[in-house]
Amino acid sequence: MSKNQNNKTAQPDSPNPIERANRRLAEQMHQPLPDDLQALLHQAKDHEKWPIAQLISIFERNTDANFIARHQIVTYLNQQAKVFNKQAMVLGITGTPGAGKSSLIGELCLNLLEKQPEMSIAVLAIDPSSHESGGALLGDRTRTIFPVKDKRLFFRSQASQQDLGGLSKQTFHVTRLLRKLFDLIIIETVGIGQNEIEIQNLSDHSCLVMQPLAGDQVQFMKAGIMEVPNTFIINKCDEDALAKKSLHLLRASLKLAHIYVKGHADNTTASSSPRDIFLTSAIKKKGIDELADFVLQLCHSAVSANSLESQEYYFLKKWVRQAYGEFGMGVYQHLNADECLKEGSFEEKEQSFKQLISRFLTHLTE
Amino acid sequence: MTEQKKAHHIYDKDDQVSKDRPWIFRTYAGHTNVWASNELYRNNLSKGQTGLSIAMDLPTQCGYSSDHDIARPEIGKVGVPINSLDDMHVLFDNIPLEEMNTSMTINGTSMWLLSLYVALAEERGLDISKLNGTTQNDLIKEYLARGTYIFPPEDSIRIIVDMYEYCLHNIPSWNASNICSYHLQEAGATPVQELAFALTTAITVLDAIKERNCFTEEEFERCVGRISYFVNAGMRFVEEVCKMRAFCEMWDEITRERYGVKNEKYRRFRYGVQVNSLGLTEEQPENNAWRILIETLGVTLSRNARCRALQLPAWNEALSLPRPWDQQWSIRLQQVMAYETDLLEYPDIFDGSHVIESKVKELKEQAFAEINKILDMGGGVEAIKTGYMKSALVASQGERMSKLVKGEQIVVGKNKWTEGLESPLVKDSDGGIFMVDAEAAKRTIDALNETRAKRDPARVKASLEALAKAAKEGINMMQASIECAKARVTTGEWSDTLRNAFGEFRPPTGVEGQALTIETDTLKEVRAKVQAFIDQHGYRPRMVVGKPGLDGHSNGAEMIAVAARHAGFDVIYFGIRLSAADIVQSALEENVDVIGISLLSGSHNEIIDQLFEELDANNAKEAIPVILGGIIPAPDFAALKQKGVKRIFTPKDFDLMVVMNEIMDVVNEQKSK
Repeated sequence: MSKNQNNKTAQPDSPNPIERANRRLAEQMHQPLPDDLQALLHQAKDHEKWPIAQLISIFERNTDANFIARHQIVTYLNQQAKVFNKQAMVLGITGTPGAGKSSLIGELCLNLLEKQPEMSIAVLAIDPSSHESGGALLGDRTRTIFPVKDKRLFFRSQASQQDLGGLSKQTFHVTRLLRKLFDLIIIETVGIGQNEIEIQNLSDHSCLVMQPLAGDQVQFMKAGIMEVPNTFIINKCDEDALAKKSLHLLRASLKLAHIYVKGHADNTTASSSPRDIFLTSAIKKKGIDELADFVLQLCHSAVSANSLESQEYYFLKKWVRQAYGEFGMGVYQHLNADECLKEGSFEEKEQSFKQLISRFLTHLTE
Repeated sequence: MTEQKKAHHIYDKDDQVSKDRPWIFRTYAGHTNVWASNELYRNNLSKGQTGLSIAMDLPTQCGYSSDHDIARPEIGKVGVPINSLDDMHVLFDNIPLEEMNTSMTINGTSMWLLSLYVALAEERGLDISKLNGTTQNDLIKEYLARGTYIFPPEDSIRIIVDMYEYCLHNIPSWNASNICSYHLQEAGATPVQELAFALTTAITVLDAIKERNCFTEEEFERCVGRISYFVNAGMRFVEEVCKMRAFCEMWDEITRERYGVKNEKYRRFRYGVQVNSLGLTEEQPENNAWRILIETLGVTLSRNARCRALQLPAWNEALSLPRPWDQQWSIRLQQVMAYETDLLEYPDIFDGSHVIESKVKELKEQAFAEINKILDMGGGVEAIKTGYMKSALVASQGERMSKLVKGEQIVVGKNKWTEGLESPLVKDSDGGIFMVDAEAAKRTIDALNETRAKRDPARVKASLEALAKAAKEGINMMQASIECAKARVTTGEWSDTLRNAFGEFRPPTGVEGQALTIETDTLKEVRAKVQAFIDQHGYRPRMVVGKPGLDGHSNGAEMIAVAARHAGFDVIYFGIRLSAADIVQSALEENVDVIGISLLSGSHNEIIDQLFEELDANNAKEAIPVILGGIIPAPDFAALKQKGVKRIFTPKDFDLMVVMNEIMDVVNEQKSK
């Protein structure tokens, strides 16, 4: 944009260039959703794959144009709530590499569709980015085997973008879109340490997938994250003997951590809500049926581990910390921003906060 | 009193100076359809070839009948299509089975092909105990390198054990499986990895046989004696001689110590060879003739470690599938070596060399250390499921590519002395690329339909049910499988029945967690372009990499995927055995900036057509550029580009960052449209 245009759009009383830029952005945000994006949304509603994919990209990409489009799309979806009336549950699935999460998700989805042929499911699979090159190798697609051209299923890979949470920064944004388009969203993430905690903040229900007898439990215990998942799955239980042995080991570990397992008599000193344990084998198709029934039950009961509102505030704070560091967090707390930033879309809240910061800075320099 | 024996002579059992018989000369052959292949075999046998090495096409190898959608572009491309016993009758028409040593390169469907062969012999009224030959049947290397696996590892091992059990009792001279280190070297294995992984495979098979406990002690010894190998020989021929000697010594030790085999005869390391195609170059391809000769030395010079059978690649394999003349040239090399030289007159010429001895010792120590490591991790099957061996191979291959780029490993004509006069041979071969005509494929499908029309459906149904029952109940499946063959069950039906019983398997790809060590100026250039792209568009360039069709040689695709990440791309690696629709759907769902596909089976023209049709149907043909890599003959370039392929990469383009740089240009060209 040339300087000339800058002068035209800037208001005479603009205190500084950042403020001026903010105002320009705000003006563009409040334009109605362009026709081409409206068309995309309606195609996406019919589960056309490429339109969904292009919309996801808008929620992933980090430019002003996409920021504006995100706000416009979310606003439009809210206005058209009767048309876009889905409210997907988000199921988080995490666990160590090699636990067979991708194959399990593949089998789970096929089983769910057999039970509920009308259901639509989106899978978001997140793999780590390289610290050296920043690029990522996303390989989950090789193991989650879906029938081709089935509109009820959608698969998307995401890179973690070195985000410490293990989930892409954009994953949250993408769920904002997909919740309105599908009945179920499954997020698969590589679980090493912190990620189990992060997926909590993004999903309505989270599962930890483990291998039988692999010593995973001990590692998870040490890391103090056994408490986090709502449900445990021991996958690769190809043989019954192995499955039983693993189940006993897990129960013993959970007992030590004072975690109450459903339907098990010796848990009298429950310190938290009861958990389920599932034993599955993706390759032998064992235990998938039970897991699918359980997921359907979750979808219907729609009891979320954390409200959409609290998810949004969590990610807003996360953004503040990433954009402005501890200083930003200080401002956020000082202004009691949870209260001030009640209205509007996530983008508007980001925008309002940017303005707060900019005013704060102006105030300091004057 | 006879004369003092001389150390440089070979003596026969009557103490007469004698000479060794040459190894078996083979040519890996088969193409188009059963009629054409039958003619080819009879022709080769009349030219002095002494054994048959049957190449099956990819649908047959992967368990699909020729009329399956995924099979159609591949019918007769890399081998002969076999759909039923009727095809076998044609394929071996006028060839005396009882006199043949028949080697079949077949793995996922090995039990089926053996059943067909046995059923053929029985229908001809032959004594099947006289049959002689080999089914390759090494599934571990399929998971690692070659890609024609179907079932999960445990079930594949069970099939192998079923076959050993059946063969030992019914066809005692048949090698039920063949441990292949060949493909491991092609996939980048170092000599130590080749030794260790191949011997681990043999241990995995023998442990499984022992566990079934179906043999007496004497039978088990004979069974160990049936284990044969198929190895590779590369350019470092002195090291290869040492590797072969190490193989022999290690096998002797393993069979003696781990399995207690007392009879020395059954501890002998028996092997056939195909020399290395990986080292053959597309640049100055005439040099490959020398390379093949040198590679042959590694497996023939040392008498104690000499191969039993040898097949050579053709000089132009890096350019396209070889023609009959190219194969004849390779057979001539074997004949010159065996009959014109004095090679076969001497005992082992390396015995007593302390240089060789020391090198062999080092290889053995390192290989045993690796074997023990894998056994400690739970053995061969476990190392497949965890991806340990696969990751090690991908890493070795990456290392090899890095050395080529840095010039640390010289390949004449490729990264050094690249200037030269143009080869008249290449000009010639351009016109003579091997083609399969569409009529031939139609004849195959017509024959399949005829078989289906003529057979007794009740017998088909009953035989398949018996097969499924045997599979589920753990009964040896060979008899049921032979009955299927006689009932005119098709390759697809046999495979589907077992797919239902066992499930299909997808092994770890080995690409995750790999790192390249390339640090060139080109890398800096590509990364700068990637960064500029991110600054402008707010995300990393996205690329999907996959292999359409049934060809499972995934090295090229894996290397590109690893290289793209190294350059800073977000790469969706989709693996092998995909349909054009699969690839297009992945590109759409992932909203990628470029599609990269790799093809080595010669079916690129058909598959590219399918791919563009599919893109077009989704209105994405103009939006998502396609790049292609693999064995693509130069004369096909123009037509492929005309169809819309943006760049074509062949083995000549070994500098991965140069490739990535061009791919990045394609991405930017598309964005600026």
